[in-house]
Amino acid sequence: MFFHNFKYTLKYLFKSRILIFWTYAFPIILGFLFYLAFSDIEKNEQLDIIDIAIVKEAAGEQRENSEDEASGNSEILLNAFEALSDENSEDQLFHTVYVSEKEAKGLLEKGKITGYLLAFEKTPKVMVKENGINETIFRQAVSEILQTAKLTAVLTEKEAGRQLAAAAGAAGGAGAGQPDWNAVAEKVLGDIQEEQANIRDISGGNLSYTMIEYYTLIAMTCLYCATIGMYAVNCILANMSRKGMRISVGPVKKGRLVLSSLCASYVVQLLGLALLFLFTIFILKVDYGPNMPLVILLALVGSFAGLSMGIAAGALIKANENTKIGIIIAVTMLGCFLSGMMGITMKYVIDSKVPVLNKINPAGMITDGLYSLYYYDTFHRYWFNIISLLIFSALMIGISFFALKRQKYKSL
Amino acid sequence: MLIFRTYFKILNKYKGVVIIYTVILLFFAAFNMQTSDNSTNFVASRPDVYLENRDKEGALSALLCAYMEEQADVQAPGELDGEEALSDALFYRQVNEIIEIPEGFSEKFLAGERPDILVRSTGDYQAAYLEMQLERFLEVAALCQKAGMDEEELTEQVKEILAETAQAELTSSLDTENLSKGVFFYNFANYSLLAGCVYAIAIVLSSFRKGYIRRRVNASPVKYTRYNRQLLLANGVFALTLWGFYVIISMVMLKNVMFTKYGLLFVANSFVFALCALSIGFFIGNLTTNKEALSGIINVVALGSSFLCGAFVPAQWLPEGVLKVAHILPSYWFIQNNERIARLETFDFASLKPLLVNGGVILGFTALFVVLTNLLSRSGRRSRSVL
Repeated sequence: MFFHNFKYTLKYLFKSRILIFWTYAFPIILGFLFYLAFSDIEKNEQLDIIDIAIVKEAAGEQRENSEDEASGNSEILLNAFEALSDENSEDQLFHTVYVSEKEAKGLLEKGKITGYLLAFEKTPKVMVKENGINETIFRQAVSEILQTAKLTAVLTEKEAGRQLAAAAGAAGGAGAGQPDWNAVAEKVLGDIQEEQANIRDISGGNLSYTMIEYYTLIAMTCLYCATIGMYAVNCILANMSRKGMRISVGPVKKGRLVLSSLCASYVVQLLGLALLFLFTIFILKVDYGPNMPLVILLALVGSFAGLSMGIAAGALIKANENTKIGIIIAVTMLGCFLSGMMGITMKYVIDSKVPVLNKINPAGMITDGLYSLYYYDTFHRYWFNIISLLIFSALMIGISFFALKRQKYKSL
Repeated sequence: MLIFRTYFKILNKYKGVVIIYTVILLFFAAFNMQTSDNSTNFVASRPDVYLENRDKEGALSALLCAYMEEQADVQAPGELDGEEALSDALFYRQVNEIIEIPEGFSEKFLAGERPDILVRSTGDYQAAYLEMQLERFLEVAALCQKAGMDEEELTEQVKEILAETAQAELTSSLDTENLSKGVFFYNFANYSLLAGCVYAIAIVLSSFRKGYIRRRVNASPVKYTRYNRQLLLANGVFALTLWGFYVIISMVMLKNVMFTKYGLLFVANSFVFALCALSIGFFIGNLTTNKEALSGIINVVALGSSFLCGAFVPAQWLPEGVLKVAHILPSYWFIQNNERIARLETFDFASLKPLLVNGGVILGFTALFVVLTNLLSRSGRRSRSVL
């Protein structure tokens, strides 16, 4: 009887096109849309070469007055930007074009450049169209060059003083006259070029936040198992289907039928899950990292949690099949929303402000378990989520067991 | 007006879904929409940073912290408790960089040693900018120390040198920050408008097209043209009500933008798109009477259009190939128009022409869906009359 019911439940589930769409096709379609939308997003957030222009001429009237004063800083700026725009350098930050002010305005207007530098004004000025990080970096680069000029002056004065003092010491306290300016300049510029900040980057490698989107997708697929579980339970409920009526009056053990129906549902679900993994790994090239067996284990436990949710929905909600499906999909989508499907910030906000919400949200448990596997080297958070999912499943099945056990019908 | 009234009776049964789409729009809008005053001065970006200062007594560490506070938004101590909270904040881009100043940093630094500053970063633009500033601070401080300055002089000089900032000026008087919020709202409304309109229209139409109801309507003395006219009117009233409601929401949330010429253009653009959504709803409602299948089709159409055309992720961040494919969807032209509106400097015919062209394309799509719906319903009627 077990295998007989198992076989027919499989047939019944595979014949439900709507069920197949939501559990098999919809996650794959959504995954593909995620891939299309997010494949370039992180690349675009990384520092790229910034297009800028330098205006090498001063505005007409200002030219005569400002050229002498400006020329010192302007030369420094031009040389520095030449170095920062060197295409052969690993540290290239800008792609610079040298144009007239009118041309620069045109380029900025068309969005071809982030901004332009009026290098020969009395006070060098950065012209940008809007506020933004590229504009800020451009301004910072100019500031740094001006700071270096000031620093050079301070260090030169200091080094000259030091040389004079040393010379005076050597001459027995008599005035040593002028310092050797060439030696001073060489020493100061050498020091400036040599100096390297001691910063050690200890960032981990796995920082791709778009992975969260795929994790919520897996969570959604796992929880859609609830619709399959609910279908299977409905089949044996006397108040939900004719088949259920026949079963309830038939000489078969109800427990065995429930178990075989649920096993068939789980098999259908695992096939959907396998399809999603194959699609994301081989077509979308999603890298789930070196802990693939643990990822699969979490997906299996997550699907079980989904199944248990479906059994509970089938047993506890007194409504027709469509309403039950509607409730399951709404609960699943709400869970996925809270765990970051529509924007990863949501998961962070919930985790940090209302952590209990994602601790009781099965989608949150699955997403967080996968996230902890991806991001952390330790496994305690992963196992915490696995245990949470098992407790959730046990709770759902326990409640359903008592609800189903007590069901009696006055008439059918 | 029996058909008109029945339409809204059926719609009332499905209002929950439309409300959900509206709530989603409201939620995301509220999340991103705190309008700010228009600023015509250049305002530098301020990344988020967490400073872990283990050198509490050091003068140089205090100076570094003060410098970082000037340049970035420093997370208050105690806001992120524990290693896991810090790591999570970094992953979810709540902080762009975590900077750890080691114990005894100032003393060692002033003695000529160069202890490492430890950083963990997200590797994006903001983090790169922060690192530029950190490097600058350390280099200036190191050079001053090498030049033989004592703590007091070094602190003074570093402060003075780093205070040197280049002048920056904005060439445009556009209120880009608030306009981009308008773009975000109307781009996101693409999803809510499309999903809400198409869902309600298609589901209600499918109810009218169900076998026994269709047969009863056919047998009734109501003229087919009158029946169709009332359905069209009801659909139009619903679509325009939904559109009007979204416009009112935008007016409440984005006062600074919506009561300007830009707001008028956003409203006009969304009106044209609402007409298109209406025609798409008509078309899909004629495809099938199976409500569950309809729900699947609508989800795929609304989510697909929104993802591919830049409603959720800004269009400039989408791969080029995706954008090319998106040209065949009306949402693309609607979203492109929203983006263009925010960049308008003048309001003469030449600058408005691209908007009109895009609007024309959306109307073209509308006409196409109307024609397709007519063909579909005609072939459906013929096949049914044969049966």
